[in-house]
Amino acid sequence: MYLLLSWRNIWRNKKRTLIVASSVFFAVILATVQRSAQTGSYSYMIHSSAKMFTGYLQIQQKDYWEKRSLDKSFKLDTQQLARIKTIPHVTGFAPRLQAFALVSHTTQTKVARVVGIDPQLEDAMTGLKNRLQQGVYPQRTSSKILMAEGLAKMLQIGVGDSLVLYGQGYHGQIAAANLPVGGIVKLPFEIMNNGMVFLPLPLAQEVFSTGKRITSLPIMIDKTRHLKTVLRQTKLLLHRDQTIMTWDKMLPELKQSIEFDNISGIIMLAILYIVIAFGVYGTVMMMMAERTREFGILISVGMRKTKLLIVTTLETIFVAFLGAVVGMLGSLPIIYYLSNHPIHITGEAARIYDKLGIEAIFAFNNDPRLLLSQALVVFIIALASISYPVLFIRRLNPTEAIRD
Amino acid sequence: MKPIFKTLILMLWISQIPAYAQNAKEIVRKANELIRAKSSFSELTLEVIKPDWSRKMRMKAWALEPDYSLILITQPAKDRGTVTLKRKKEVWNWVPSIHRVIKIPPSMMLQSWMGSDFTNDDLVRESSIVEDYTHSIIGSEKYGGYVCYKIRLLPKPEAGVVWGKIISFISKKGYMELRADYYDEDGLLIKSMLGSKVKKMGGRILPTHWEMVPRDRPGQKTVMDYLSIKFNLHLKASFFSIKNMKRIH
Repeated sequence: MYLLLSWRNIWRNKKRTLIVASSVFFAVILATVQRSAQTGSYSYMIHSSAKMFTGYLQIQQKDYWEKRSLDKSFKLDTQQLARIKTIPHVTGFAPRLQAFALVSHTTQTKVARVVGIDPQLEDAMTGLKNRLQQGVYPQRTSSKILMAEGLAKMLQIGVGDSLVLYGQGYHGQIAAANLPVGGIVKLPFEIMNNGMVFLPLPLAQEVFSTGKRITSLPIMIDKTRHLKTVLRQTKLLLHRDQTIMTWDKMLPELKQSIEFDNISGIIMLAILYIVIAFGVYGTVMMMMAERTREFGILISVGMRKTKLLIVTTLETIFVAFLGAVVGMLGSLPIIYYLSNHPIHITGEAARIYDKLGIEAIFAFNNDPRLLLSQALVVFIIALASISYPVLFIRRLNPTEAIRD
Repeated sequence: MKPIFKTLILMLWISQIPAYAQNAKEIVRKANELIRAKSSFSELTLEVIKPDWSRKMRMKAWALEPDYSLILITQPAKDRGTVTLKRKKEVWNWVPSIHRVIKIPPSMMLQSWMGSDFTNDDLVRESSIVEDYTHSIIGSEKYGGYVCYKIRLLPKPEAGVVWGKIISFISKKGYMELRADYYDEDGLLIKSMLGSKVKKMGGRILPTHWEMVPRDRPGQKTVMDYLSIKFNLHLKASFFSIKNMKRIH
């Protein structure tokens, strides 16, 4: 009965309904796009960083992250690897053996991070091959190494020269080798570009006398939001002495900067919500003023105020719901389009992205949960404006109202 | 008891102290001399044992006390020809696979030597055990079937020593150091050096099996077995040169 009454009421004056509904509609679209842009760009940053450095997840021996010692390495288990491969959303992995050593050419000596990699898997994950400047990208069985461009420049070493490596291997054994340089890669950050050497994994394992061991197994997944699911499933596959680290533990600076930025985003969003709230409230207020006479007559002919209240409340809910749903549907194609056609950045900012070796784009998040949550928030805000008709009707004096 | 009597005993007791101290130092000196002599050449195996891993090396060692020593690794094949040279307070490594001589910087002195429980510092400092400590006999105890002097070594204030104290067990017969416990400044036992398998080798009777056991790492130790020793050969300081380091085999 109430439902029917209010439903009919809404469509009695279509223009009025459309005004309220569209104010909710645009509010939903605005909030969704804003949030999508923000979380999208975070995901993009996380994804790029994970790709470049650590992966989203890393399987390590317990204590490795604190000690960074080859003694805390583990044997690569092919069965475990095969199982990780089958976890949904896992897109790649790249076993690494990492150590620090002195590297030297003629009279120059530097400390470098020496990383044993599987060249094909590493390229699939980090795109290392694209960073090659000179020489040849190695095969897995190759005995030639890749050097970071900055380090090569400091040591005045080129393709075809031999690099002397000296350091500590597994359990303090001497790791010493003369390694021919096969290629030079330009890495995005100075700290990487000035201090990294890549060895094919079997060669690194021989030089550092580790046998079939690796220090870490970074895992890549398709989307940031699937991290929790993949983490849970990977945890089930761990051996007793293994542990798993997520990107936010390995890249705390990135996490902090995102958290910091997110706060300013949330403040912006809060302002947006307030604007939305007043917009909807204003429209509702105008509508009430419009219907003063109508309400006055209804009450005069014996309609009880409570019933009138229920009807108008239902009306607002209907309209707000309509606006929210249509807004959600309306923002779907927008978000879908934007997430598939991210905005390309130009100018100075683009050069920074370029330097980092990631595509200069402003990405959007197309997580359906985001759409739902924004629509819901705006819907709730719209509902808050019910308070006005409630107050208005309770205070309504029928005689005065009719005379208006 | 009459006062005169008391004084007499006191005097006797006091007169004992320097004699005792002298004695302790002498015992340590003799024990030290037994395994080091003026110079020596030895062949030995060194096994590094970790809870889940172990590695055995074979080496030759030349020493001219107290300042010079040279250690050549002969096995395993991967490390063959690697030489460690000690001259006074300095240590060098010769690594044939990269044709480089590497001086061990002071910052690396406390790091493990070849992955063992010996530090680079152990190679350099060991010989000052007579001069850098004050020694006193604190008891007599049976260890490994031998009646031993239990001697406490406290580092002299000016000595650059990392230990808070060392308790050494030296057999009364033959002056063999059979055990040494190394304590840090807080009096915590850090590691023990244990000698056993007493044999006649190089004309002397001495322990030929040594274990260095770090107390804070269960399941880990370094085991040294002497295969042969020769004492007091004709070695000159010039033998222990960087040039010779690259030639020796």
